[in-house]
Amino acid sequence: MSDDPALHSRRPLTLRFDIPISRTREFWDGLRDGRFITTKCKNCGNVSFPPQADCPNCMKGEFEWVDLGRDAKLLTFTYVQVTPASFVENDPYIIAIGELAKGLKVLAWLEGIGPEDAKLGMAMRIEFRASKEGNPYYVFVKA
Amino acid sequence: MTRVAIVGVGHSKFGKRTDVNVAELAFESIKQAVEDAKVDRKEIGNVVVGSAGGWYEESLPAVIVNEYAGLNSVGTMRVEAACASGSAAVKAAYNSIVSGETDVAMAVGVEKMTEVDTLTSVELIGRAGSYMWEFENFGMTFPAYYALYAVAHMNRFGTKEEDMSRVAVKAHHYGAMNPLAQFQKEITLEKALGSQVVSWPLKLYDACPLTDGSAAVILASEEAAKKLTDTPVWIRGVGYSSDSANLSRRNDYVGLEATVAAAKRAYAMAKVAPGDVDVATAHDCFTIAELMAYEDLGFCKKGEGAKMVREGQTEVGGKIPVNLDGGLKAKGHPIGATGVSMAVEITKQLRGEAGPHQAPIRNGVGLVHNVGGTGHYAYVTILSRS
Ligand SMILES: [Zn+2]
Repeated sequence: MSDDPALHSRRPLTLRFDIPISRTREFWDGLRDGRFITTKCKNCGNVSFPPQADCPNCMKGEFEWVDLGRDAKLLTFTYVQVTPASFVENDPYIIAIGELAKGLKVLAWLEGIGPEDAKLGMAMRIEFRASKEGNPYYVFVKA
Repeated sequence: MTRVAIVGVGHSKFGKRTDVNVAELAFESIKQAVEDAKVDRKEIGNVVVGSAGGWYEESLPAVIVNEYAGLNSVGTMRVEAACASGSAAVKAAYNSIVSGETDVAMAVGVEKMTEVDTLTSVELIGRAGSYMWEFENFGMTFPAYYALYAVAHMNRFGTKEEDMSRVAVKAHHYGAMNPLAQFQKEITLEKALGSQVVSWPLKLYDACPLTDGSAAVILASEEAAKKLTDTPVWIRGVGYSSDSANLSRRNDYVGLEATVAAAKRAYAMAKVAPGDVDVATAHDCFTIAELMAYEDLGFCKKGEGAKMVREGQTEVGGKIPVNLDGGLKAKGHPIGATGVSMAVEITKQLRGEAGPHQAPIRNGVGLVHNVGGTGHYAYVTILSRS
């Protein structure tokens, strides 16, 4: 702490976002059912990850859900030891970017191994988790 | 289209500035810039304030800063391009002159990052990407973003942790010569290599600090510049680009495509080549970022960034001196101020006023490279004495 005089403002602002997911609802429901799916444009065939209802390629809004499978290859990773304020209760974690069989990439935690055992190019599999609030999410594990 | 010159510069002391609030901090630079340009404040038709904000108490920095500096009823806006907000402010001020809207404009960059606790700052920067897909569930941090690039770069090109540490040693070497820098102390390679791991492979000494600071530049049209100064520094090229919010949508992780695109545009506009540049600032929020910048700016081939620093090619006496003000690493990185600070540094270099860390100037050309986020935004600005 500095010795300089300061007005110690203490009007905490708590940010709790209710983020709309109605347009990608199937994706989140899929995670609960053990399916990793995303959006494919019916007009141009563009497949997006993260999923989005409006095609970034042709701007049309007609899409279907396609299964991405669960296999991935490790492209790069880091081992986060200094975590953000809202993750201070977490142990250090590995964040990885994996490439799926269809070429799309996904960023997620790599669980179940230590950083010394993470090797670029290694095979991984997507698994499903729920946060303590009950929100579904996905992680990589070593295949 | 008129040419545009930098005719006045101002720069605060960078560091943990518990002695001033955000308006007082910005004022330090504004006052210096106005005095340096010897311009009447009434002549300034546009004040663009670059600030990312969120870590200090004011929500509307532009009007807070202008009111404190007596810049009443001036045209103004606050701009955000993450860590490139300062360059975005310079670009917006430049545009207002090129368009004929005003003859004199000012870009002010200011950030106050240490009024909140450190982990809250870490959180706010970590959210600067895709909050929904990469922060909410995975707790990305700023070092983590660049660490993902570092691991890929090490794997592809054989870049070593020592090479990254060498960038930090260089930054501190020059920072020690800059009285406005946050850290003015040399460090050893051993100290950098042995520092605490933040997000492997990046360590404390691979990372820029949290910083309070401000910088300001006053820009003028050719006609106005000729009346105001004998030492105008011309903005010859401005290139800017961006990349996906989600890192998962990037093509590769060994360079920043936004930098490559911005540099290409800036070089073309200025009609200069990388080899013409006498001195540069490269965006070294992390040491790996500086190595990638050498490559992406065309100072060397892709994959040879580490070789540049090993051979001392980016020190004074090398092929192209980079970050002689200490860079973000040692000078400090007040997010919104950084791009303006870089423009101040290169202006001083081209005027021959950089003091102990002056680079030899042959062609009279300098380059400012400023990245927002992890190549989410990139700005390259080319300055010239002629
Ligand atoms: Zn489409």
